[in-house]
Amino acid sequence: MANRNNGSPRDAVITKKILYRQRVLIALAIVFVIYGIIFYYIPLGGWIMAFENYKPKTGLFGSKFVGLDKFKFLFSDKTFIQVIRNTFCMGLLNLIFPTTIFPIIFAILLNEMKSLGGKKAVQTISYLPHFLSWIIVTGILHDSLSNSGIVNEVLQKLGIIKDPISFFSEPKMFWWIVCFAHLWKEMGWNAIIYLSAISSIDPCLYEAASIDGAGRWGKIKHVTLPSLRPTIIVLLLMNMGFILNAGFEVQYLLGNGLVQSVSQTIDIYVLTWGVSQNDYSLGTAAGIFKSVVSVLIIVICNAVAKRSGEERLF
Amino acid sequence: MKNFWRKSLGLGMTSLMVMSTLAACGDKTGGDGGVSTSGSGTGSSAASGSGTESGGSTTPSGEVLNLSMFIAMPGAEINDGENDIQKLIAEKTGVSVKETWLTGQTAAEAVGTIIASGTYPDLIDGGDGMVQLYDADLLVAWDDYIEKYPNLKNYYTPEEWDMFRQDDGHIYWCNVFQNTKGASTSTTHNDEAFWIQARVLAWDNYPKIETLDEYFDLLERYAAANPTTDDGMTVIPYTCLCDDWRYFCIENAPEFLDGYPNDGSVIVDKTDMNNPKIVDYNTTDTAKRYFQKLNEEYAKGIIDKEFATQTYDEYISKLSNGNVLGMCDQYWDFMTINDTFKQTGLDEKGCNFVPLGLTIDKGMDNRWHTYGDTLNNSSGVGVLTTNPDIEKTFEFLNAMLDQDIHNLRFWGVEGTDYLVDDQGLFYKTPEMRMQWADPSYQAKHRCVYSYLPQYGGTSDDGKNANLPEEQPSEFFQNLATPLQDCFNAYNVTTYPGMIGSIVEENAPWFPMWSFSNNLTTETPGGVAWTKMGQTKHEWLPKVVMSSNFESDWAKYMDAYNATNPQDFLDEMQQELDRRIGK
Amino acid sequence: MSNQMNGAPGAIRVTMTENKHNKTKTSDTIFHVVNAIIMIMICVVTLYPVLNTLALSFNDGVDAVRGGVHLIPRMFTWTNYSTVLNQKNITHGALISVIRTIVGTLLALAANALLAFVVAQKKFVFRSQLSLFWVITMYVNGGMIPILLLFQKLKLTNSFWVYVIPAMVGGFNMLVLRTYMEGLPDSLQEAAEIDGAGFMTIFLKVISPLCKPVYATIALFVAVGQWNSWFDTMLYNRMATEYTTLQYELMKLLSSVTSLKGNTGTTAPGQGVNITPLSVRSAATILTMAPIVMLYPFLQRYFVTGLTIGGVKE
Repeated sequence: MANRNNGSPRDAVITKKILYRQRVLIALAIVFVIYGIIFYYIPLGGWIMAFENYKPKTGLFGSKFVGLDKFKFLFSDKTFIQVIRNTFCMGLLNLIFPTTIFPIIFAILLNEMKSLGGKKAVQTISYLPHFLSWIIVTGILHDSLSNSGIVNEVLQKLGIIKDPISFFSEPKMFWWIVCFAHLWKEMGWNAIIYLSAISSIDPCLYEAASIDGAGRWGKIKHVTLPSLRPTIIVLLLMNMGFILNAGFEVQYLLGNGLVQSVSQTIDIYVLTWGVSQNDYSLGTAAGIFKSVVSVLIIVICNAVAKRSGEERLF
Repeated sequence: MKNFWRKSLGLGMTSLMVMSTLAACGDKTGGDGGVSTSGSGTGSSAASGSGTESGGSTTPSGEVLNLSMFIAMPGAEINDGENDIQKLIAEKTGVSVKETWLTGQTAAEAVGTIIASGTYPDLIDGGDGMVQLYDADLLVAWDDYIEKYPNLKNYYTPEEWDMFRQDDGHIYWCNVFQNTKGASTSTTHNDEAFWIQARVLAWDNYPKIETLDEYFDLLERYAAANPTTDDGMTVIPYTCLCDDWRYFCIENAPEFLDGYPNDGSVIVDKTDMNNPKIVDYNTTDTAKRYFQKLNEEYAKGIIDKEFATQTYDEYISKLSNGNVLGMCDQYWDFMTINDTFKQTGLDEKGCNFVPLGLTIDKGMDNRWHTYGDTLNNSSGVGVLTTNPDIEKTFEFLNAMLDQDIHNLRFWGVEGTDYLVDDQGLFYKTPEMRMQWADPSYQAKHRCVYSYLPQYGGTSDDGKNANLPEEQPSEFFQNLATPLQDCFNAYNVTTYPGMIGSIVEENAPWFPMWSFSNNLTTETPGGVAWTKMGQTKHEWLPKVVMSSNFESDWAKYMDAYNATNPQDFLDEMQQELDRRIGK
Repeated sequence: MSNQMNGAPGAIRVTMTENKHNKTKTSDTIFHVVNAIIMIMICVVTLYPVLNTLALSFNDGVDAVRGGVHLIPRMFTWTNYSTVLNQKNITHGALISVIRTIVGTLLALAANALLAFVVAQKKFVFRSQLSLFWVITMYVNGGMIPILLLFQKLKLTNSFWVYVIPAMVGGFNMLVLRTYMEGLPDSLQEAAEIDGAGFMTIFLKVISPLCKPVYATIALFVAVGQWNSWFDTMLYNRMATEYTTLQYELMKLLSSVTSLKGNTGTTAPGQGVNITPLSVRSAATILTMAPIVMLYPFLQRYFVTGLTIGGVKE
């Protein structure tokens, strides 16, 4: 706060001088803003599609204007509300476990490994599933969790269960299965960024911690985690905005009729009700809803981060 | 983090489309059995490049006109400009077509982006996106050209052509499938049926199975006597696919069990021929009896415990292993397993499935098999207004139906791809058949132009089938021995013979699915139709697995009625009335 | 801070460690054993789907449909690979893919780094606004058709540049780079400023050399994105065969195999054409993964640089 108070009057007084000194930065910023406007903001004009009954013939500017009809359609449908809940919950689980907690733990444990060769090998192996398509991953997962699959077999051999568990017919398990699928496929990949951050920690900090008598846990707690803090917070903030993008393919491929009340996401809903019925406007309306919610989440979280003196996005 | 390059692709719906393509195009062919049997989806093409450079001018004679064609179905490309038969056809017609197939989008979406992009092909089969093209004034009216070119004129009767007319009274496209010339030669049953392994029938000395009860009774008895297969796998007497749009396997049997043909979405009750009525097959007594039967069989352990959650791949894998005795499905949905049976030798053990024409009670007519052609007026091939030489294009479409070109497309080159015997019958040696099916050979030699006008039935010579797979002599010889035995035992020669559907003319409104397929959420009926589907998809497996059938059936009916099925039925009735000219 | 710690006398450190040595030795060993076990388990679990895909890619397609192929092909064949490699345009597609990956990665890295540098300048007057401007682009999307229309107007359709120009700057990459740059000590830039260096000199000579780990991370992310993308080819260059990419050609092949299987007449013999969508997809996946897996060790060097130094010093 003190800084800010100092800063504002100073800004006011020597604006011109500051602007001149920062002319290179300002010029660069202008170039990037123009680029951003062209490639990201101009297409947003397409949002008018959500307020009309878009037909390819009449195009963006000639199609019949229908006001909020598409939004009314969405929000008067009980299924859509259910679908938002599903998307949100799966997105949240996805954010917490496969995107944040497990990659961090994995990166730290990997960093603690003694053998450099082992470290490299584990890291390379761990991110390989990222390159498999969902259809391959879900296929293997479906196999493993089937009645005669390896999971049921192991559980039965260990005497934990008597009859095989039918994982995919149980709505309660679906979100966790999706969460696990993401974990399996993306943990190693998501850890890359944390590993990169860890690699930039000054080794002297660890030495200093050793001198202060810190053990392994102490070093992780007092050196690694604090150094990762900006990265963690920025990624967390950023990914919060992606909560409603919980996806399409995984749920689509793992879902079935019995669990559809928990498996359908916004994207699946749009496919059923929009895309496959030549209705481009509905998808746009859902897209606007997602964008607005995402930006709101980001702005709020950013404000919270700002208030608590944390790293923030803007 | 997982989302970070969504932006770099510049698209929100990227990953989504990979799957939806297959789902959506399957959806259209799926529910209606409208898939053609016309050989594999091999394409053709012209010299590389888009082939549209020639602008608006008419092509000078002697020069090959290169056209581009977009087909809103996935398919295989061929070697542009290096394909033997494509070159032969170009020599004869002066036209060569480069085909581009659907990849990673739904048909409607692909057509939508093509319209928006302003880069148009010269010919198009846009699937269920055809109406969009018509709406966008991008299609050439066929009317004058139909009068001018005899093959096209004769391709459909005037009444049939009328069915293609849009609301401005003109014809803009023409469906190229399910069109029989000469005698019908249909040897396969490409549609839905209750299927059973030939060995199960053989085990019981080929009994006459007419009803659902008899069918399950036989499965139960066989499974009790043969609990495991030769290679030690537990027998699954009956399975039922419910995966995604393929849940039709559990859903639409009541329509057929009541003896009605494949109108797809509804039953048309024609007791009063002048005043046919739309009936909802989901709520009939037959429907309840059918699902109650499934419920009982599930409780007895006759039905696969995992039927509700298995994926299509798992289902196919189960069928391929030969330990599933029966299921209800459309033939095209599972026919790939025949390759596996052939490879593993299970075909010689009688694992191949034969169709049965079941009804709910004894002594009813069945209409599982549709003998006549099913005219789908909702899609087909169209010519775009930007086509550089419209006249020559129609001349070319006309030539596609010339017998010699038709033979080139579907049989290949005489001497290389097929031989002619003393009686003038075409046949292929095993080597030829193998070569014909080889993808690399297809790419450099075969040019089917599979989405251009074509015929089933018999050739102008009156002897040969237009499509090799329908040549009766070819067909029976290629059956595995147990299938031949089975056919002989029932005294039939083809799959439709096994079903024994009654032979009759298709009703003038048939098939009603060509309307329900194109319903959109713009009408209450379209909204209801989609909701009905979702409700059934959730509840039908539930009632089958239920431990209290009656109460769950009642709950299902409540959920079902909450979707306003009447809105849908009303719109179907209107369309039915329109089709009979009321 | 770090300078002070560098000055810590080594002798003391050694003594401290010696004293604690006996106590910590056992728990240290236990930790490493447990850690190694965890890492091995992660490797097994993540390696399985990859090895399974590898096995399937060498297995006869029709045979594989029966299920039960896990780590070793049951009916060995090269057919899947030869089918993929015989696909028309595949070499040309691979060439285009390599070019777009290299050009796209270099452009994106340069652009994002420069933007991040501007935004990371703590004194820059429009810092917060510029960040917000780019953060928003991550969550809003004009939709497919408006973007298509825009690209068409910009003459980007039917051209190579559609692959690299629109994807050049992205909010995510910018934020990751910015976070890293902000973590660098201010004193470095201040010192350069006192020496009279301009912003561009500071960016190129002072900041960039220190950013190797994060540059490597972003390069990997962008390169993988470029290498794997095919939807843009389909949408913008469907009719321009000279610009189609490897991934698009593979997608075409995959969908054609699906249709091949769906439409084959009953008399088509099983022999000679034993490919299925699954088997072709497996081969295509392995072929796509290979270049990335080979590229990774070179980039990985930068992620583990810090770790290596740490290890040596301890």
